[in-house]
Amino acid sequence: MSMSIALDGDARQEAAAKRAEEQAIVQKAQAGDRMAFEELVRRYDRDVLRLAMNLVHRPEDAKDIYQEGFLRVYRNLHRFRFECSFYTWVYRIVTNVALDHLRRKNSRREDQAPVPEEAAGGTRDFFDRQPEMHASANPEKRLLGSELGEHINEAMKRLSPRERMVFEMKHHQGMRLRAIGDILGTSEETVKNSLFRATRKLRASLDSIR
Amino acid sequence: MGTRKMQQDKQASLISQPCPEWEQWLTLFAAGEEEEIEPGKRGEVAAHLSECAQCSNSLQREQELLSVLTAHRDEPDAGLLASCRASLEDALDREEEGSWLWRTLSSILPANWLSPRPAFSAAVLIMIGFAVGILGPRMFRQPAQPPATETASSNSDPAAPATGANTDSKTGNTMDPVSSAIGSLDLHSADLAGLNILPSDGGEMPQVQFQLKAQQPVTIQGNVDNENVESVLLYILRNGDRFCPDVRLNAVDLLRARASDPNVRSALCHAVRSDSNAAVRLKAIEALNNSAQPNQDIVRQTLLNALVEDDNPGVRVEAINALRDMAAKGEVSGDDETVSILRDRMEKDPNNYIRLQSAATISDLGPRAKF
Repeated sequence: MSMSIALDGDARQEAAAKRAEEQAIVQKAQAGDRMAFEELVRRYDRDVLRLAMNLVHRPEDAKDIYQEGFLRVYRNLHRFRFECSFYTWVYRIVTNVALDHLRRKNSRREDQAPVPEEAAGGTRDFFDRQPEMHASANPEKRLLGSELGEHINEAMKRLSPRERMVFEMKHHQGMRLRAIGDILGTSEETVKNSLFRATRKLRASLDSIR
Repeated sequence: MGTRKMQQDKQASLISQPCPEWEQWLTLFAAGEEEEIEPGKRGEVAAHLSECAQCSNSLQREQELLSVLTAHRDEPDAGLLASCRASLEDALDREEEGSWLWRTLSSILPANWLSPRPAFSAAVLIMIGFAVGILGPRMFRQPAQPPATETASSNSDPAAPATGANTDSKTGNTMDPVSSAIGSLDLHSADLAGLNILPSDGGEMPQVQFQLKAQQPVTIQGNVDNENVESVLLYILRNGDRFCPDVRLNAVDLLRARASDPNVRSALCHAVRSDSNAAVRLKAIEALNNSAQPNQDIVRQTLLNALVEDDNPGVRVEAINALRDMAAKGEVSGDDETVSILRDRMEKDPNNYIRLQSAATISDLGPRAKF
């Protein structure tokens, strides 16, 4: 018992030290230190690129989101006031960029065919209105050669963009539901519902291969 | 046989269907979010799980499913990541060059403060405009100068002509004519009329002479250690499209001796990434390879990017050679990104030499980078 308390204490101390280190780097970057900014980019850019790829599925579009996202981070760095973690702040910007990107691509379709609010429970927002991606035209998926990988990819494609994003943030990036809600600007309850729907769809799709 | 298997699967699936009223709670349990559930409800779910075999099985299957899914995590392609990083660095370079005025203005007059006060904002902007219009010309007016060309020389070489040196008559201090020349000169609006390299005796650095065409023509002379000479050379590399390839090649050649300076390294990296001339890119890689510095991350990134992106096989060959040299000196670690790119080149590069050298570099990187 006392051992586990000591371990918890160590973990907390380590986390606090990491936060302090990151805060120092952010402050340097805010003061105009380019190397410090690049260090911050290196910390999060792999996750950001993965998120972008899962959302838009085209390397060129993912690259645009990556670049526009980090440029916005750079331009607005002086506005970051340490009210949330830097990670959350970066993600909020990147998801907004991704949202703008999808909105631009789909604006005409949205104008012509508005989707009514969902009748029961939960709200339908922009993510929910995006068309689900289906098979083919997905070059990066070819990299996963195994049959299981292909099954998983097919199952992931059946999720809506919002469900895919929530699932990605929760299970691949280990974020808490509250933090995901914070980033997406929605309630924890809505995030829970998205995760529940995503898990149920994946379970149904992958049941036969288990 | 197949039918029996399908029936067994269906049966297993039915057995593990959770009770509908508990299904959502099981998802939270499987996601490791049980702490987010109120303690009372959490206890109820735990009690139900201990009693209900279907829900317990379902939770177990969901946890297995999640572990399979997370094991098949889709990592971004290393080449794409390297390319994104290089593009971002270029975009940041452009951002830094273009936005200092805007940043200064927005720090003085933040947009979110001005926008709700349109009338006041307009008045402030008009006043600023008047002030700049009236005071600007007075502040920047130059004292009358003879139309002759000003020659500025480097202090580091006593043998060089020192025609531009002035002495303050009151203090007796020597003023640096080079600083005054380049300080008042906007390189963006100046044209390079000539670049001469004057070889020096022994092992000393050569003298460089620039003739810059501007409102007031300026000649700058000195060796590469001279701050102003270095500024002009860096400007040439960073704005390659304004200068001919010969000038850019000379700039790279001259800066080679200063490749350990972070600013020079950054400009050389910029040239590797964006110069339109393959000979300039190749020479810039050679210069980077000569820099002996512990922090080589920017160089490593640039070389990896050239290896993936450059269309010219000669440049890619130089990049892999430089990477191999760095690996031999222990300046490149066998991290996942590096190894992944090298492996990609080993398999896909159309050039046989590059494929072989990529494989050799992976093996040089040691046991972490094994196939």
